[in-house]
Amino acid sequence: MNPVLRKLQVSVTQQVLVLNQAFTSCRATPSIRHPIWCTASANERQYRSMPTHGIGRWRYLLPKQAPKKRREKQPMKPILAATDTAYGSLNVKLSGYDMTLVEHYTQYIHNLCNRLGIRVAESYALPTKSTEVMLMQEKGTKMYVDAVLKTHERVVQVNSLNAALCPVFMEVLLKNQPEGVQLSVKEHTEADYHSRFKARPELEGLMAQINQ
Amino acid sequence: MAAPCGRMASRPLFQLLSCFNRTAVGNAGIRQFSTASVCRATLQAKSVTERASSPWTLMAAVCLQRLPVISADCNPIEQQFKDMILQMELEKSVLSDHELQLLEDAERMRRKQADDYDSDEEEGRDGQEIMLAQDLEDAWEQKLKSFQPAPRARADVDKDLTSAQRCLAETLVLLAEQQVGKEKLWLLPQTQWQEGETLRQTAERALDSLPAGYKATFLGNAPCGVYKYKLPKAIRIENTVGTKVFFFKAILSDSAPPKAPKAPLLWLTKSELQRYLKPAYMMKVDRFVLGV
Repeated sequence: MNPVLRKLQVSVTQQVLVLNQAFTSCRATPSIRHPIWCTASANERQYRSMPTHGIGRWRYLLPKQAPKKRREKQPMKPILAATDTAYGSLNVKLSGYDMTLVEHYTQYIHNLCNRLGIRVAESYALPTKSTEVMLMQEKGTKMYVDAVLKTHERVVQVNSLNAALCPVFMEVLLKNQPEGVQLSVKEHTEADYHSRFKARPELEGLMAQINQ
Repeated sequence: MAAPCGRMASRPLFQLLSCFNRTAVGNAGIRQFSTASVCRATLQAKSVTERASSPWTLMAAVCLQRLPVISADCNPIEQQFKDMILQMELEKSVLSDHELQLLEDAERMRRKQADDYDSDEEEGRDGQEIMLAQDLEDAWEQKLKSFQPAPRARADVDKDLTSAQRCLAETLVLLAEQQVGKEKLWLLPQTQWQEGETLRQTAERALDSLPAGYKATFLGNAPCGVYKYKLPKAIRIENTVGTKVFFFKAILSDSAPPKAPKAPLLWLTKSELQRYLKPAYMMKVDRFVLGV
């Protein structure tokens, strides 16, 4: 009994000593405690002196992700046809010289559609067109630039507008139309979709050459 | 200000069927023709039986609106806020090209005026000072002074209830005086529905029947409101309980003056409608005339 107890005591004291030593060694040099799991791969276990070494590692547990691909060219959204009770894809086109008015009116229409439960497919802007206003000089034949007017265009594409809701919607739009903004509601066609893209003359030339 | 509306795509089901019928006549398919006619016959039979049993006379009325031409005036609070926002934006904004040019010219004039001015030191500007920016601005000021804008509101036109040019900042509704039963009442122009036409066509007929030739765009095939009138028991004819009036909205396309100036027509704002319409009628009309 006694030798067992003594052995236990000795082993306990030895362990305490070892722990103390380890503790002191660790406290003296805290920099060594940084784990280096970022540089090692998941298959290698890192043996460091602290029992809790690598306790925070979790990324090795996640499933392997495929590398991110570049976004592919989006295909055209299908153009809906008109049914008996609802219109198909409609384009609400706003245009004007004052960009703040046109922009705010577009936002108003978009919010109105959200509130009334009308589905808005897309809401985009077409490129700005600059118009130069040239005046004839009073004495002489030369024209000089008087002003540059920029026409801004915004489009709100609306899907399946209910035919019973349409008169109310149109009336609210017309009554809230700001001055200087032109409103037009037309059906959406493929030509409208293609007008959003820039023309690529080299590509078209090559295609013409191939097809010839 | 009237915006061009796109043409409506959908037609009522009845018209679709009738279109189909017309095209089927030309086609060789007898089966198609027969089914279409059967459909049409059953529809008509149904409508005949329905009408025979329905004790209501149907009428359609048109709510012709003239949209506002100019923007409404601001409240005092709105005006104050607007001024404050403009002031803030002006203070936060960057100088424009024209203002920079003005500053440059002023600087150059100041340097010219100074005693130790050496024109050779000046940076080479070819064709300088034909037109100073300040002169341009003065020319623009002169042009602005000679511009006379039209007055926003004219008191005499505003008071004339028959003119479509009054109250340019608000929407106006057309009211006509029509014979209903024994008395003449002020109400939205209406006519009786006839067989074989849609209610919207009835409303269009009501508009055309007015002495003044107004061109309007109807906003849709669906009515915007309904008014039910039960005849008092004394003059109740058999099989007729009363009338149902369906209202259709239309927007005035042109503001041409009417051809018949003596017609009993009025253009009224929403607040003035109350003085001319009967209370029960007004309650129903009030629901769909937007006071925006």
